[in-house]
Amino acid sequence: MRAYPYPRLSGRVSLRVTAVELKAPGESREPLDVKAFSAVEQVVALGGTERDDWESARLKLSATVPSKATDPDGPWSDVSVVAVLAEGATNARTVVPLEPSTESGREWTGSMDVWRADHLDRASLNVHVVARTDGVAGRVIATSQKDWIVDLSARAPKRQRELDVVEVSFSKGPQWLQPFKGVPWIVDTSGDVAAVHVNTDFEGLTDLLSGAGSAAEGLVRDLMLAQMRTDVWTAVFHVAIGDLEIEEDGTPLFSHDWRGEVLREMLPDVMPGRPLEEALGEVHRRRAGASGWIDLQPRIHFAATQRAQMPKALSTAIRGLDRLHQGADA
Amino acid sequence: MAGRTQTELATSVGVTRAAVSAWITGRARPRDETIRKIAEALGTDLGTVRNRTTDTLVGRPVAWYHRPAPLDGGREFGNPAAFAFEADVSALAREATQNSLDERIVDGGRPVRVRYTLDELTGETLARFRRAIRWEELVPHYEAAASQDQKVGQAISAGLRDMNTRDRLVLLRVDDYNAHGLTGDDYEDGRFAAVMRRQLDSHKSGRHAGGSYGLGKATLWAASRLGLVLVNSTLHEPHEGRTEGRLIGRLDLPWREVDGKAWAGPAWFGRPDPHVEGADVARSWWADEGIVEQLRLTREGDEPGTSFLIVGAHDVASLIDATSSEGDGVADDDSVHRMHGRLVQALERNFWAAMTSGAGRRPLLEASVRTLRNGAEVIAEERVDPRASQPSRTRALQAFLDGTTVERLTEKGAGQVVMTTVPLSVPGREERRSGGEHRAVLLVTEAEDDDGVLNTLTTMRGNRMTVRMKPVPNLPIGTDPFQAVLLAGHAAGDGAPFADEAETFLRASEPPEHDKWGQTDELRTRYSPSAYRRIGSLVQETHKAVRELVAAPKEKRRTSAERIRKRLAVGGKRAVRPATVAGLPTLDELHAHIGDGGAWCITAEVKIPAGGDSWPLVPVAKLAVRSGPKPVLAWSELAAVHNCEVVDGVLHFTGGARRATFSGVTDVTTHPVKSTLSSLVVELRTGKGDK
Repeated sequence: MRAYPYPRLSGRVSLRVTAVELKAPGESREPLDVKAFSAVEQVVALGGTERDDWESARLKLSATVPSKATDPDGPWSDVSVVAVLAEGATNARTVVPLEPSTESGREWTGSMDVWRADHLDRASLNVHVVARTDGVAGRVIATSQKDWIVDLSARAPKRQRELDVVEVSFSKGPQWLQPFKGVPWIVDTSGDVAAVHVNTDFEGLTDLLSGAGSAAEGLVRDLMLAQMRTDVWTAVFHVAIGDLEIEEDGTPLFSHDWRGEVLREMLPDVMPGRPLEEALGEVHRRRAGASGWIDLQPRIHFAATQRAQMPKALSTAIRGLDRLHQGADA
Repeated sequence: MAGRTQTELATSVGVTRAAVSAWITGRARPRDETIRKIAEALGTDLGTVRNRTTDTLVGRPVAWYHRPAPLDGGREFGNPAAFAFEADVSALAREATQNSLDERIVDGGRPVRVRYTLDELTGETLARFRRAIRWEELVPHYEAAASQDQKVGQAISAGLRDMNTRDRLVLLRVDDYNAHGLTGDDYEDGRFAAVMRRQLDSHKSGRHAGGSYGLGKATLWAASRLGLVLVNSTLHEPHEGRTEGRLIGRLDLPWREVDGKAWAGPAWFGRPDPHVEGADVARSWWADEGIVEQLRLTREGDEPGTSFLIVGAHDVASLIDATSSEGDGVADDDSVHRMHGRLVQALERNFWAAMTSGAGRRPLLEASVRTLRNGAEVIAEERVDPRASQPSRTRALQAFLDGTTVERLTEKGAGQVVMTTVPLSVPGREERRSGGEHRAVLLVTEAEDDDGVLNTLTTMRGNRMTVRMKPVPNLPIGTDPFQAVLLAGHAAGDGAPFADEAETFLRASEPPEHDKWGQTDELRTRYSPSAYRRIGSLVQETHKAVRELVAAPKEKRRTSAERIRKRLAVGGKRAVRPATVAGLPTLDELHAHIGDGGAWCITAEVKIPAGGDSWPLVPVAKLAVRSGPKPVLAWSELAAVHNCEVVDGVLHFTGGARRATFSGVTDVTTHPVKSTLSSLVVELRTGKGDK
């Protein structure tokens, strides 16, 4: 729980992106279709455009703040409303002031330029109400609840992130894959988003994955996919837990990218019955400390199989085999 | 001249025969008081004498004339057409307004104005009205009808009971102005006969007409508990040389026996017709202002149109409910208010498009509703404004009429309307030319908050009445809310290809309620048994087009990769399960202020779930920062206040306690910045941790 040494503004502060225009060098701005940004998901997806040479995007913003903010009898003066675009990965932070658009002082509008070169992946967009209170200027007295995400590469405006799947020949592909040429797939967690590399050299693998095939093929494929997903979830969990920021008192923090999301989704299975922060602290202590990490392995494995829905895939495969046998007997 | 000689008339009025002759040949005009005397002598009314151009019907008074039962012994216990609809004011508003819209006078381009008036009569006013409609003559008929144990009989008996015990009667008047009125002969083909004399006669004038069954008028009688409707019409084209004040009443009762004579059912309130031999037949008459006012049928001004007065209006979805006198009685004080609200709603829902117009033009329809009690206003006249209840849809239609639509949506909250067309292949009529491909217009715009159901598709044709309003299926998650309108037939604009054919085809595919497009008998017989499938494909195409316009794009991917990606998504909508903490105490309230020395003084309340008292917890104070690790503050004192004790900076809760309070003061020497310049975060941690 937080406490502030000055009065804060209660009530809802909300932010809407009303239009997006892309600018390529030497050309005029071009408005994006509204399908590229969603008010429901609160995401702007800039990767769905035909052109990939754009260098900046101008977001038109509109914010609603409680009317108490501009009440002359309130404890605040010099109230302004600012939009803040920040990305943890690059430590970029852009602040633009918004202008009041109505007499009531509830609606504020403005625009924010997002420079492509300043950002890596996903930036979050917030609105703060800033005012002078108790003689100190520039204090944040209210913030929007749910932030908007500006995603530079996604085609569809979704908060959910999909892990990348790459089909590549391990023998002719990148150098680092060559030692693995006999392996069907490899999980790589070094990029912005974890990726699964599927080996096209592995005979019949791609056909099996893409083909409709017979019933037996389908059973094998679903089983294999479940296995692949189990591998992926196990790998990403280990990566996420091994790469934490630690506070002074030893409390680990959730990272802001996909790693944080992975932990949030899997920790309830790894450490059942604990609040997320507690669970994270406990898992981190066991990994970094002297004991308990070994005991945790089955739990991690369990969480990964749950997440990959392995049990369901396996029982479906076994039942399917039974049916195939019955069909052969008949 | 009612079979009198000029001499006889001259004697009874008290003038010379020459004077009478001069009036008749038109050389002179009688004075006003003389006219009154003439009227008395002829047993007719002032209006007839003043405006007379043809023979008047004289002698016998205006009264009720019942149709005798047929000699073959057939009995009809009510009008089946009345059961085609639900007997409530929404259906009435829909059907009656549609009829007015169909009868709009197109020349001059003015809207048809429809006004609904609810008037509750009590006491003396009610008694006067009953005298005017000659209620006493009707009582034996009503009693005979009410004694029958049929649906209609039950409704009538409930209506009578309600009126007699509570001494109240609700009248609902439906007026239209700038419409044709009930023109035509009393018996021959025409609007008058179609409405007042016939069943299932849809006498529609325009090709755009909404109605096609001739059933809608039955809702007027169905809405009356007493089966009684009075009509006053101002005609657009003169009948018998006159236009104003054509009155008639019609009563729809089941077959009944009164005074030993059997009656077929319907009865008319009017003048007996001397030209019909051997039977009592009533016909419409031209009433003077006094009579019109007594019957509460006074129209404003002389604009053509019709007023229907529904006597004993009620609003129940089923006639069976009418037998219970509690709750749904028309006499309920709020029931008039409720009817008023429902009328407004029904008009908004069904006719918002007819009330919308492009810039510089007038709409097809203007509608209003008001409520009176004994003629005095209870709810002031409320003009139905579609912009209030259907903001997005009216905006979409208006943009189409003004030609301000766009090709794609680029801005939110700016009210853009995107337009595209959808094909409807109209089948050929049997043994006639084949149809063609009509292009219906599809409009999509962002939805507003007060739009009712979101993401719906509203369909309509030339009469601009809402036919169907259903949500668009299979929208991907995360689609922003929108409203879509499909304009087919003549609604798609005059330039649309094959608009006539599409209009005819769609009109044939509507059931009597006009609330969907689908298989009907007419469609089967006039086109082909499978013609209705064209409508299905139109709706499907439309849904597809809507999805293309509004749905968020899918990630592009190859099929094999797609299979792997399933369940490889993190974050987003999948709500993380709320941590079901096995009885861990949590901070519930925090009161903090900065003390004299610049230290934070806090008092915190802890909520302890059942069994949570065994956890020892460590309170930790930190300063909030924007990013990176938070600096930790040390406690200079930590004290238990209630239900707990502090040992070495660890809280131990009292067994069985549900709430505990502790207080603390931070150590100023550990503050990295002045405490007024940062906010404080207090957490409870389990275990010792590594301090």
